[in-house]
Amino acid sequence: MIAPFRDILLLAATLFALGAFCAVVRRNLIMIVLGIEIMLNAAAIVFVGASLHLNNLDGQTFVLFILAVAATEVSVGLAIIVYAFRRTGSFDPRHFNLLR
Amino acid sequence: MVGSPAHPVDLAALIAATMLPFASFLAILVVTRGRPRLSAWLSIGSVTITLACSIALLALHSGLTTPIGFSADLIGSSGLNIPFGFLLDRLNLLMIVVVSTICFLVQVYSLGYMAGDPGFSRYYAFMSLFTWAMMSLAVSANLLQLYFFWELVGLSSYLLIGFWYEKFSATQAGKKAFVMTRAGDAAFFIGILLLFIHTGDLGIVNLDSRAALAGVPPSFITLSALLIFGGIVGKSAQFPLLTWLPDAMEGPTPVSALLHSATMVAAGVYLFARLFPFFSMSAVAMSVFLAIGTISMLLASTMAMVSRDIKKVWAFSTISQLGFMIMALGAGSYFAGVFHLTTHAGFKALLFLCSGVFIHRFETNDVYELSRLGAKRMLIPMVTMVLGAAALSGLPPLSGYFSKEAVMGSLAGLPNPVWLGAGLAGVFLTAYYSFRLIFILLFPRETAVTIPVGTPSPPPQAAGIPAGAPGAWAMAVPLIVLATITVVLGFFETPLKNFIGAGMLAGGSVGGEALSWTPLAALALALAGVGLAWVEFGRKGARQIGFVDRIPILHRLFAERWYIDRFYGLLVNLVIDRGISRLCYLNDRKVIDGGIDGLCEGAVESGRVMAVLQTGMVQYRLLAIFAVLALLALYFYY
Repeated sequence: MIAPFRDILLLAATLFALGAFCAVVRRNLIMIVLGIEIMLNAAAIVFVGASLHLNNLDGQTFVLFILAVAATEVSVGLAIIVYAFRRTGSFDPRHFNLLR
Repeated sequence: MVGSPAHPVDLAALIAATMLPFASFLAILVVTRGRPRLSAWLSIGSVTITLACSIALLALHSGLTTPIGFSADLIGSSGLNIPFGFLLDRLNLLMIVVVSTICFLVQVYSLGYMAGDPGFSRYYAFMSLFTWAMMSLAVSANLLQLYFFWELVGLSSYLLIGFWYEKFSATQAGKKAFVMTRAGDAAFFIGILLLFIHTGDLGIVNLDSRAALAGVPPSFITLSALLIFGGIVGKSAQFPLLTWLPDAMEGPTPVSALLHSATMVAAGVYLFARLFPFFSMSAVAMSVFLAIGTISMLLASTMAMVSRDIKKVWAFSTISQLGFMIMALGAGSYFAGVFHLTTHAGFKALLFLCSGVFIHRFETNDVYELSRLGAKRMLIPMVTMVLGAAALSGLPPLSGYFSKEAVMGSLAGLPNPVWLGAGLAGVFLTAYYSFRLIFILLFPRETAVTIPVGTPSPPPQAAGIPAGAPGAWAMAVPLIVLATITVVLGFFETPLKNFIGAGMLAGGSVGGEALSWTPLAALALALAGVGLAWVEFGRKGARQIGFVDRIPILHRLFAERWYIDRFYGLLVNLVIDRGISRLCYLNDRKVIDGGIDGLCEGAVESGRVMAVLQTGMVQYRLLAIFAVLALLALYFYY
């Protein structure tokens, strides 16, 4: 194992924090979806790292599922965003408050 | 079952006497309302049978020693039985004859007085209702049953006072009479309940026997006697509750003659006589009754001295004569009270009916006005009215002389001379105000007449019925009958005394021995009253201004009825309007409305505060989720 597990966890945590930061702070729906993707991938890195660390392939299997889920999620999410943009002409999440 | 069992004939006569007027009341209201003549004859027919049955009962049982009773359980539940029935003894034999006689005469009289009134049928229906209630009241065997009819009598009084309901003052007067007597009746009912709790039997025979009340503490007897006396005070318009009776004169005059002088208001005195042995068990209560009778008697006499309204003079005089009866009973003389009740029923009904003739003819109540329009030219009513007034003043040989002597005799038997003094003063005042009215009517003075504002004086020809109309005889005959009764009744004092005195239920003294000078003093004072009235109102050149009228303060005081009404007005205003109902109003507005409003507004406001948190912004929720998760992570980690 080249990189120590601790560094992998640090990297994942940093990525997760960045993704969360992006999802919360950016006022753009596409960027929010992007942030969520980054958080998913950070989780995936932890799985891979743990799989290596524990000599167990289950983690890598999980990652394959995560990738599949992320792909479908992005397509659905983008479709919703396109639809919402057509309805309101805006990407700004502040404008989507009908359920208030 | 109380007393000896009733013979079927007695029972039939009693049922006919009491139930027929009720049947005619229903029949008039349901069937013959649109046919006034038929209604009148129905009512008069039933009251004739009532009268016949009453007289027959009196004749059959003139030697009655033990009361006749008949009762059946009408209200019964586990452990609680209230029998309803009849009780006949000498007192109510006399009472039913008095009541049915006056009812009969007044109903005949009303044929003339009420002729052409749009409510003619209704009038007779109410008259029948009253006759039924009053007769049943008189023969009730049970205090609760008596109370029912007591209230029914009050109801018919209310209906008849407000008979001309288009007149605002009449409806007001009816309401006032109803509410004021109700105040007394509330006390009466509490008294009945107290008695029921302690003795468990409200039968009148039972209450009047000392044995039944032997185990009851004396203070309790005093309390319940005082409470029951509250009902008497209300019904007989005695001192604290006396102001409803003058206002009750808003009703038709025959109604005043029947209800508000002869029978209904005498029901209070009748109840006193009915429960006389019970009341006389409490010396404290008896002296309270004596004091209340005296106060009412004197107050009402002074009010009568200044009234210009002919009916109100007689109304005040009724209060004062009822005061005399209560004084006599309170002084322990059963016979004097009952005898005065009987004679008073005759001559006071006579006085009212005479006034009714004048009022019907001239359409005004004002004495001076009546005099100016020529009341003295109407021979029959004028003569009978003088007879009635003389009887009221206690001049021999009329009935009032004998009964008033009996009352004075009972007062003279008391250890404290104050009561006798008050009674004699009352005799003087009575003679003065009755003959003041008579002399004003007999000797019209153009100068003394000041027509009161708001009373239009109709020309005599246009008003009322002409003297020769058929209605006139219907009105004149009762006057003559009553005048005859007034003249002769006094000579039956001894038989009546034997009849009433011997038939009394156990207990109570028949009355103290009269001092020898009392009758003379009473007669002298009565004559002095007449003489003073003659000097001030009768003799040639008299200015027809009484001595009271010359003292403005006294005149104001008497004319304002000693400010009793004002006091009640103030009391109602302060205690009820500004006190209780204001508190209720505030409670409603501030506590109930305010509480509900506060609750609603609190909900709305808290919703608004909570809504600030809810912006609908997806990223804030996300932030909140992260924050919570981070905090949870910290919490679980450490």
